[in-house]
Amino acid sequence: MNTQDSKETLQQQLAQLPKEMAPERELWPGIEKAIQYKSQISTSVNTNKPVIPMAWAASLVAAVLLTWGVIKPQQEQLNAPISLVSAMQQDFEQQKNTMLVSFGQPKLSALPLEMQKQLAELLSARQAIEKALVDDPNSSDLLNILRWTQKQELELIKQLYSPQWQTI
Amino acid sequence: MDKSKVIDAQEFFTVDAELEWIARAKQGDQQAFHCLYENYHRRIYSLCWRMLADKESAEDVCQEVFVQLWQKINDFRGESKFSTWLHSVATNIVLGHLRKHKNWLQRVFSIEDHTVKDISVEMEELPELDKHIMRLPERARLVFVLFAVEGYRHEEIANMLGMAVGSSKAQYHRAKGLLQQWVTL
Repeated sequence: MNTQDSKETLQQQLAQLPKEMAPERELWPGIEKAIQYKSQISTSVNTNKPVIPMAWAASLVAAVLLTWGVIKPQQEQLNAPISLVSAMQQDFEQQKNTMLVSFGQPKLSALPLEMQKQLAELLSARQAIEKALVDDPNSSDLLNILRWTQKQELELIKQLYSPQWQTI
Repeated sequence: MDKSKVIDAQEFFTVDAELEWIARAKQGDQQAFHCLYENYHRRIYSLCWRMLADKESAEDVCQEVFVQLWQKINDFRGESKFSTWLHSVATNIVLGHLRKHKNWLQRVFSIEDHTVKDISVEMEELPELDKHIMRLPERARLVFVLFAVEGYRHEEIANMLGMAVGSSKAQYHRAKGLLQQWVTL
């Protein structure tokens, strides 16, 4: 076959190339899960605004000032495009703080050394992943590991401080 | 009935429906976003497949494209066709994926991966030309897909791939030469 023929054959095959191909795997469930997770995070950020105390006139003034100081940066943050990593970090910190408050703000330094070590290891792993995510904020692998590490840290805190003895 | 008018009416309907899906997706409507996905995911998947030459990566990256699309859809201002804009978003994500997954040896010495892994099983269903495209060296394949299949100009390709316009043209001719040989075998 000469060059002209091979050019024509290529052109013909190129013109017949399908514009669409169907993936073998169902892709939507994974996408849906990811976008729902992102929507949940932005909703939780939107609904967690401080409440202004109404009891006393004096504290009202202080509360207004305090609320102004807290809401303004939050609104600025909401106006800026929120990254998934920072949303995950915010959500995690909120959960952790809520959990610690519910356990009466225990001192982590009062824990046995072995447990402190476990917590420190998880913390250092989380920080390393967060650092890697700065360079590669959309890596699904890193995001999954970050979520897993955050979950482990929360579960460990829960195990350490849950008042299991009260149920005996 | 004039057939061309029927086709025009269908196109108008699709464009109208698409504009509505986009507007609703911008408001956070996941059902409308799902309609956009249903309409475009096969095209985006074929782009990913041809550029990555790997089925699993193509599926993963196709998912990533739609997750990022959900976040970026407000950036679509309607200055171009939605499909054009979506393809450029997808192309950039695929190129980003390729950059991330290049091994250190390829980065340091700027060498290409000439050895295409055994994808014969994955390629069974593919048209002949697609099978040949998958065998091309990476840069030649990317330029060929972007120029000949996706319709980008060499200036745009050079910009996307961080190479000179002349290199893009040279890679295209290299790919074309190889494909011309292979299609006639």
